[in-house]
Amino acid sequence: MIRESLSRIGSRRFGAALAAFVVAVFLVAVPETGASTTTVRSATPKATINVWMVDNGKNVDNLWTQLATTFDAAHPGDHVNVSITPSSSNTYQVKLLSALGTKSPPALFFSWGGGALQQFIQAGKAQPFADAGKNDAGKPSWTKSFLASSLGPVTFNKKVYGIPILGTQPVLFFYNKTVLAKYHLAYPKTLPQLLSDVKTLAAHNTTLIGLGNVDNWEGLMYLEYFTDRAGGPQAFLNVEANKKAAWSNPAILSALTDIQTLVKDKAFETGYDSISWGTGFVDALVYQGVCAMELMGDWDLGVMLSDNASFVNSGKLGIGEFPTVPGGKGNLNDLEGNTTNYAAMATHISAAQKYVAEQFAASVFSSHAYAADEVKNGLVPMIAGSAGLLKTSPLKRYLVPVYNDVAKAPYFQYSWDQALGPVKATPMVTNLGKVFDLTETPAQFVKIMNGYQTGS
Amino acid sequence: MATVSTVLNRERAPVPVPKPGSPRRRVLLLADIVGLSPTLLLYGLFIVVPVVFAVFLSFTSWNVIGTLRWVGFANWSRFFSDPGAHHALLVTLELVVFSWLVETPLAMALGLFIAGTQRYRSVYAAIYLLPLLLSTAGIALMWEGVLSPEFGGLAWFSFHLKLSFLNQNWLGSPSLTLYVLVVIIAWQFVPFHALIYQAGRRTIPNELYEAARIDGATLAQTFRYVTLPQLRYTVVTSSMLIVVGSLTYFDIIFILTQGGPGDTTRVLSLYMYDTGFLQTEFGYASVLAVVLAVLGIAVALLLIRATGFGKMDSGREGIS
Repeated sequence: MIRESLSRIGSRRFGAALAAFVVAVFLVAVPETGASTTTVRSATPKATINVWMVDNGKNVDNLWTQLATTFDAAHPGDHVNVSITPSSSNTYQVKLLSALGTKSPPALFFSWGGGALQQFIQAGKAQPFADAGKNDAGKPSWTKSFLASSLGPVTFNKKVYGIPILGTQPVLFFYNKTVLAKYHLAYPKTLPQLLSDVKTLAAHNTTLIGLGNVDNWEGLMYLEYFTDRAGGPQAFLNVEANKKAAWSNPAILSALTDIQTLVKDKAFETGYDSISWGTGFVDALVYQGVCAMELMGDWDLGVMLSDNASFVNSGKLGIGEFPTVPGGKGNLNDLEGNTTNYAAMATHISAAQKYVAEQFAASVFSSHAYAADEVKNGLVPMIAGSAGLLKTSPLKRYLVPVYNDVAKAPYFQYSWDQALGPVKATPMVTNLGKVFDLTETPAQFVKIMNGYQTGS
Repeated sequence: MATVSTVLNRERAPVPVPKPGSPRRRVLLLADIVGLSPTLLLYGLFIVVPVVFAVFLSFTSWNVIGTLRWVGFANWSRFFSDPGAHHALLVTLELVVFSWLVETPLAMALGLFIAGTQRYRSVYAAIYLLPLLLSTAGIALMWEGVLSPEFGGLAWFSFHLKLSFLNQNWLGSPSLTLYVLVVIIAWQFVPFHALIYQAGRRTIPNELYEAARIDGATLAQTFRYVTLPQLRYTVVTSSMLIVVGSLTYFDIIFILTQGGPGDTTRVLSLYMYDTGFLQTEFGYASVLAVVLAVLGIAVALLLIRATGFGKMDSGREGIS
C-alpha cells in the first residue's frame, strides 16, 4: 500500500514537472507579443531587498512603507522591506556602519551624501546607480528628472551614487506667530533685534529660542549661519579644503562668540543641552508657546504636520531667514542645510537585488506622483517641474517661500558635519557642545579644530 | 556554640591530595578538562579572542569598512597626548569614587534592614528592590521624564508646589549632571548590592550578637565590632562589583546625556564608543578599550591584594 502510494505521488510529481517544463519551453519559445508579459517578467531577476530609512515624521514614514507595498503588488516575486530607524542620526549611522561591513547590507540605505558617503565609496561599500538591467553605472536616465543642483553631494568622479528621496532642506527659523504678536514683536532680521527680543520675552517668562542640543548637531546650525553672516561662504570652504589653520578665520571666531552671547543672554530654554531634538520636545515648546522659535531644517515642517497639524494648517507657524550680524559680509539670502536626503546603494548585494533596488528607486522616487506626495507632506521636491504643485498645495503659504528662498539663494552651504565626514565632524560637534555650555572658549575651540587641518 | 565549632572544624578537615603521577590524579585531570571544556571554549571565544583582537587592533588604523593598516605605536602615543582621553579617564575615576561612596553605605543599610526581623520588612523590601526588575533603558527613560526641564516631573512639582529648588538643569548643567548620574546609577544598583549584604548578614551567627548584648554593647558598637568585621568579604565583593562596574558603565549615560553637557559626563567607555562608532577610528578606540580592561583588572587585583580577599581566611576565626 505504502509503495503504491509513493508510486502514485512519484508519478504525479513527474507529471507536474513535465507540465512545468512544457510550459516553460512554450513561454521561452513564444515571441514578444502582447501576451508575452509573463515571458518578460520571468526573465527579470526576483529578489527581496531591505531599504533602510531614517524617521522623518510618521506621515513620510508611512508613505515609504506604503510605496514598498504598492511596488510589491506590481512586481510579483519581488519584495521591498522598508525599515525605519527612529531616534537620532547618530544611532542610524552606527547601525549602518556595522551593516555595510557585513555580507548582507541593506540594498538601499538613507544617506546625507557628502563626506560620509564618500567614505563608503572609497571603502567599496557603495556603488553607483544604473538604470535597472542596463550598463550605464553612474549615469542613470533618471538624473534628468531632478534639479541638477540636487545631485552635487552624491556625485563623485562624475558618477551618481544617490537618488534624492526628500525635499530640499534649507535650515530656517520656524516661529510661533502668536507668541511674537502677543508681545508686539516683529520677526528679528538682525542679531541686535534678536537679542532685544530675548529680553522682552524673558520679562514675560517666555524663552525666545527652543533648542535640543544633546546630539550637538542642532547647535552646529548656529555656527554655520553665524559664520556665513559674518564672513560669507569662504571661511568654511577653507576648512573643507583642509587648509592649515582655517578655523582661525575671524568669521568663525566671531560666530563662536555670538553663540556664547546667545547662551549668556539666555536666548535658549533651560536644559537645552540635555534635550534631543528627535524626541519632538523642541517642536512642542514652539507650538505650545513656551518658546517663540527654533532653528531647524525644512524637514521640520513635515514633522510638525505629523505631530500637530492644526498648528501648521491654522497658519500660526511662520518661517524666517537667519538674521544678519552687525558689520557682517555675508548675504542674508545665503542658506545652510542639506540639499536633500538620498537613498544610496550598497555594493555587496546580488545582481537580482541590484536590479530590484534600481527599479524600485527609479520608479518610486523620481515620479511625479511621488513629488505630489512630498508636497502633501510639507516637502519641497527636488523633482524637476514640481513648482506648479506647490502653488496649488494647501501648504503653499510655507512651501512657496521656501522654494523661493532656495531659488534666490546666492549660496547654499551643505551641512558642515556631512561635508567634513565623521573623523573631523565628531570632534567639531563635541567641542561645539562645550562652547554652548561655556566650558570652552572660542579660542580653545579654534585651536583644537586647527589640529585636525592637515593641509598647508 | 558547640554546633558552630563542629561546623568550623569540619570545614578545616584535611582533604587527601593524590600523589603526582598517580592514576587517580590523571583521571581527575582528564575529568577536569572534559568538564571545563565548554566553559573554556566559551571563555576563549567571547573573552580571550576579543581581547587579543582589541590589542591587535590598537596597533592598526581601521574604519571597519576600509582596509586595515598597521601603524605601530601611533595610536598609543596619541593616547598619552590626547586631552580628551585624559579628561574621560578623570570623569570615569570620579564616577567610580562617587558611586562607591554613595552605593556602599546605602546598600549596606538596606541589606541589614532586609535581613532583620522587623514588622512589614518584606513589604518594604519588595518596594526597595523594585529597580531590580526594570531594564536599564527603562530606568534611563523614566528618569529623563522625571528630570526633563519644562515638562518633567520635578519641573511640575517646582511650578505647582512653588518648590523652586527643584527647578534645576539636572541633566544639562556642567557642575551638576555627573552627580545626578551617580544618584540614578545608585538608584539602579543599590538594591542588587543590598541583596548581597542581606545574604552576608544572614551568615553571621546570632550567638555573636547575643554575646555582644550580654557584654552591654550599644547598637553602634555591635555594628562596629561584630557586623562590620563579619561582613568584610561581603564589602570587598560588593565594592569590587561597584568599582569594576562603574569603570565600564555606559548605558544610562549614553541614553541620558551622551557624555554632555559638553564632555562633562563623557566617561572612557563613551569616549571609546564615540571614537570607534561615530569617528570610525577603531584602532584608537581599541587603545581606549585596552586601557579600560587593564584598569579594571588592575583595580580588581589591587582590591583583592589590599583586603586579603584572595586568601579567604574565615571571618569566624576563634568562634567556638
